[in-house]
Amino acid sequence: MDVIEHPPIFRLPGIPDHVTYTWVVMIVLTAIAYTASRNVQLVPRGWQNFMEVVLVQIQTLIDDVMGPEGRRYLPLIATLGLFILTANLESLIPGFAGPTANLNTTAACALIVFFSYHYIGIRKQGPIAYLKHFMGPVPLALKPLMFVIEIISHLARPLSLTLRLFGNMVGGHILLAIIFFLMGLHGLIGWALSGSVPGAIVGGLGGIVMIVFTVGFLYPLKLLVSVLQAFIFVMLTMLYISGAIEEAEHGHDSAPGHGSAHH
Amino acid sequence: MRRSLVFTAMALLTTPALAYAQTAAAGDARGWIGPYAVIVAGFAMAFAAGLCGLGQGRAVAAAVDAMARQPGAAARIQTAMIIGLALIESLAIYVLVVAMILLFVQPIK
Repeated sequence: MDVIEHPPIFRLPGIPDHVTYTWVVMIVLTAIAYTASRNVQLVPRGWQNFMEVVLVQIQTLIDDVMGPEGRRYLPLIATLGLFILTANLESLIPGFAGPTANLNTTAACALIVFFSYHYIGIRKQGPIAYLKHFMGPVPLALKPLMFVIEIISHLARPLSLTLRLFGNMVGGHILLAIIFFLMGLHGLIGWALSGSVPGAIVGGLGGIVMIVFTVGFLYPLKLLVSVLQAFIFVMLTMLYISGAIEEAEHGHDSAPGHGSAHH
Repeated sequence: MRRSLVFTAMALLTTPALAYAQTAAAGDARGWIGPYAVIVAGFAMAFAAGLCGLGQGRAVAAAVDAMARQPGAAARIQTAMIIGLALIESLAIYVLVVAMILLFVQPIK
């Protein structure tokens, strides 16, 4: 991708850029958390107030989607959401690189989600019951088929989580880079500065239009996409976890013989 | 009309072969897949974006219809709509990733 995008300004030798800028995200989040929790007061002010608002929002979202049971998973979900949101917003600062615009970072987040929701499901229901729920409420003859299909669909989940975040971020970067740098700065402004009269008129006007379009429309669009993708990642994480928990009751209801043994 | 379209498409699709013939004459050892990969990446992204727009338009139309009928449930409908849009959009994102692999990585020379 170095063909189009400028490499970030600050680089550590021998360390990939996305790792360096993941450290920047970690430092920012740690600093905010430290400032917010250093002097906790009953009536929150400043950073403590801000973080309380953010966490209460996430908690409300969890209550809406997963019900009261979901509050146990607030640390996982809020950490993922804050990390991805900060990383997405970091890629919008000129001269910085976004960690989420690299496949390794997004794959790491998606694999954490994948393994943790299976772990939560197995712990909640036990391994045998959890495996049984892959077969779904279908007749016995269809169960092996259903099992294979469910396994494939579960394996597709981390893939789609990874590629969605990565593709959105990289697509936005390439769009910004092409329209701002290639079309605007290199193309039209370069034409305006080349000294020819039509170049100065057309290139100057076109360059100004291009820069206003980028700063006024594409940049806020990228801001929206950053927040939306973090929200969607967190939302899908919550849906996967609640699916792994809730299947217990659902399975008992659909198998009357099994359920009556308990009652 | 349709025949001229077919001829245009054929001419468009043979252009990389001509370019390959020229580069091959110049002694360049690169294969013919590279130029086709660029064309395919562009067309794939165009089809994916168009069809994804159709699908997302249907989803948003239905969601707005439902929100207008039941304003009380607007928040829940909006959440479901955003998740659905993300799932639809991820199909176009797959094509974007494939296009980027064709453009930047070029595993098949």
